[in-house]
Amino acid sequence: MGQQTGLLPQVREVSPVAGLRRRRLGFLPVLAQSVSATAPTAVMATVPVLVLARAGPLALPVVATAIAVVLLVVHCVTQFSRRMAAVGGLYSYVAKGLGPVPALITGLSAILGYAAVAMSSLLAVGVYLSAFAGRLGLSGAHRQWQVGVIVVAAGALAGTLMVRGIRVSSLVTLVVELVSVALITVVLGALLVVAPAHLRISALPATVDASSVALGGVLALAGFIGFESASTLGAEAARPLQAVSRAVRWTPAVTGVLFALAAVAEVGTLALEPPSAAAYSSVPLIDLAELNRMGALVPLLDFGIAASFLACTIASMNALVRVVFCMSREGVLPPILGRTHRRFHTPHYAVLAMTALVVLAPVLLLASGTAPNEALTTLLILSAYGYLGSYVAVCVAAPCFLYRIGEWSTRTLLAGGTATVVLLAAAWAAVDGTPWRLTAPVVASGLILVAGVLWILLLRLLAPGRLREIGLYDEATASDLLWLPGRGREGRRP
Amino acid sequence: MTAGWPRSAAKRPQGAVSSALEILAMIARCGPGVTAREIATQLGLPPATAYRLINHLVGEEYLVRMPDLRGFAIGRRAEQLLSPVAAPLVPLVAREVIAGLRAQVRFAVHVVRYTPTALRPVDTDPDHPLGPDQRIARYLHAAAAGKLLLADADRWRELLPPGPLKRLTAGTLTGAGELAADLARVRAEQVAYQEGELRPEVACMAVPIRSTTGALAAGIVLSGPCERAPALRRHLDQARSCAERLAPLLT
Repeated sequence: MGQQTGLLPQVREVSPVAGLRRRRLGFLPVLAQSVSATAPTAVMATVPVLVLARAGPLALPVVATAIAVVLLVVHCVTQFSRRMAAVGGLYSYVAKGLGPVPALITGLSAILGYAAVAMSSLLAVGVYLSAFAGRLGLSGAHRQWQVGVIVVAAGALAGTLMVRGIRVSSLVTLVVELVSVALITVVLGALLVVAPAHLRISALPATVDASSVALGGVLALAGFIGFESASTLGAEAARPLQAVSRAVRWTPAVTGVLFALAAVAEVGTLALEPPSAAAYSSVPLIDLAELNRMGALVPLLDFGIAASFLACTIASMNALVRVVFCMSREGVLPPILGRTHRRFHTPHYAVLAMTALVVLAPVLLLASGTAPNEALTTLLILSAYGYLGSYVAVCVAAPCFLYRIGEWSTRTLLAGGTATVVLLAAAWAAVDGTPWRLTAPVVASGLILVAGVLWILLLRLLAPGRLREIGLYDEATASDLLWLPGRGREGRRP
Repeated sequence: MTAGWPRSAAKRPQGAVSSALEILAMIARCGPGVTAREIATQLGLPPATAYRLINHLVGEEYLVRMPDLRGFAIGRRAEQLLSPVAAPLVPLVAREVIAGLRAQVRFAVHVVRYTPTALRPVDTDPDHPLGPDQRIARYLHAAAAGKLLLADADRWRELLPPGPLKRLTAGTLTGAGELAADLARVRAEQVAYQEGELRPEVACMAVPIRSTTGALAAGIVLSGPCERAPALRRHLDQARSCAERLAPLLT
């Protein structure tokens, strides 16, 4: 695999990620991957009201700040995506900017983010489909058990689609996502038309403290996370340097527009007498529909949200699988995870392993008697830690990367620096407000971090050579170059 | 994508075009590995403008960023600009060999040369001219010589224009599936045919001329009317032995 050409020693004959279906995927599936990973429908149904409840009169500036930070992160991510076709996403980017050890920590963070969001989305598919069945009068009494069965079935479906190929799985997520957005738009439209449009700002918290505002900001930011996941399709996308960068830029715009539409509709119908009734439930939009005597629409919402979460599961797992595949090709993880299917050209062993992990965790949580909603919250917080960690890393790495390759840009330094400071400050303020206790997500992320650091130390000690391979990406091979001087092109022999 | 363009270039797109061409020319001159900063300095461009133009050209795949991430080389896509216009040389000895085959068969004999993405007739039969519209070079999916090139490519679909395959005659293969099957056959048998696919009345047979490394360098095309196609196919061994003699002369 590491075979190199004679005349230009740094150019390989074969891509280090050979085996994937390279340079085939059109722009639409790449964009679908990123948009689906943000689960826009679920965000539309929940985030605007949650932010309003926390930030109160400051909601608008808070959301604007969150969007500004997302744009800064986008700027940093595209500095990499315009220059290298990565399979490991932010992990590979940080490797080129900051070196192997920070990269491994970022990789761990990204794996945590993608895995936890896939687990929670899978669980959410179970919760909302089960609620959907319940509302139609189809479900029995054993809800926990029912959710578990749906989780396993949805996980199997996701795994099968992913083995079949990135094209199939992203097109399926695109269709599912479109159905979901259409459903929720119908509900929002109906609410706007039917409900009396009276917004009562007085019903919202009039005074807000800093940590609650920060929490609102983190929640608004959470509405966008996942937008960077197209960066794991660098090998498979056609014209990857353009397509991936475009997808990363457009996704926040798509999500932002949907978010704004939902916010307008929800705020317009927010006629709540006691301020907290809808604000603190898990899906405010469902409560809004019920409060406005439109209970008949609720099954539609349940179904739409479940669909969006299914798309989000597939998209997050596609990203997760590619990070794991990349690590395996580098020698950081066992080589079997780096193998690809002969016919479908997908990393099928990595898909299998990650599907098992992502299905098993929620099933175990349910079996241990945790309420589905509680498990959902725990996993979502865990994923937010993971994502924010990798965003901070990529913002620090971007200016360093440009310096390393001799394409220094002060603008990127400013963008990366500002984003890092704001992200860290928001995270700190949000955590500061909650009483410090050893909640499940804190313990879990702590344990994962410790395990990761031990694993890195072990690698350094036993196989320092493997650390050097970190940062592998789908680099230019001899066939991408116009005739190398003095060298004949290799052809197929008869 | 106007958002990413330098302000001065957005005002004067022709300025950006000249700079882009100068960048291509400079990388072609310096060879692989020249860095973005060197390009900016030598061409006297503001660094941010140079980096943006270079990254745009890399995104379009006219340039390639080298694996060290610092240096650049001309990308394979630029081939489409350069190779078809460069005049390839056919040595006199080779012309004599080709003339020998012409004397043996009662068909038109043409020789084409290949680049990784295109073909070019270099020695056409003086008694049977190819026609002014260069169909053989333009419609790779319908010409026997074109099928040899497609069969040899890793991603043959990229060598053809995007969109559906153009139907030139009733016999043209326009389905991706049937063309793929035909190309698989070409790969296996190392000879390509077309009968009435490029022009209604004309049949062709093409055999490859390969270098010692196996690269497709050139091809011999025999062509005649469709009703004499069986006779045309009987000349396969003669065409192949001629190809073998031409190989050391054309590669």
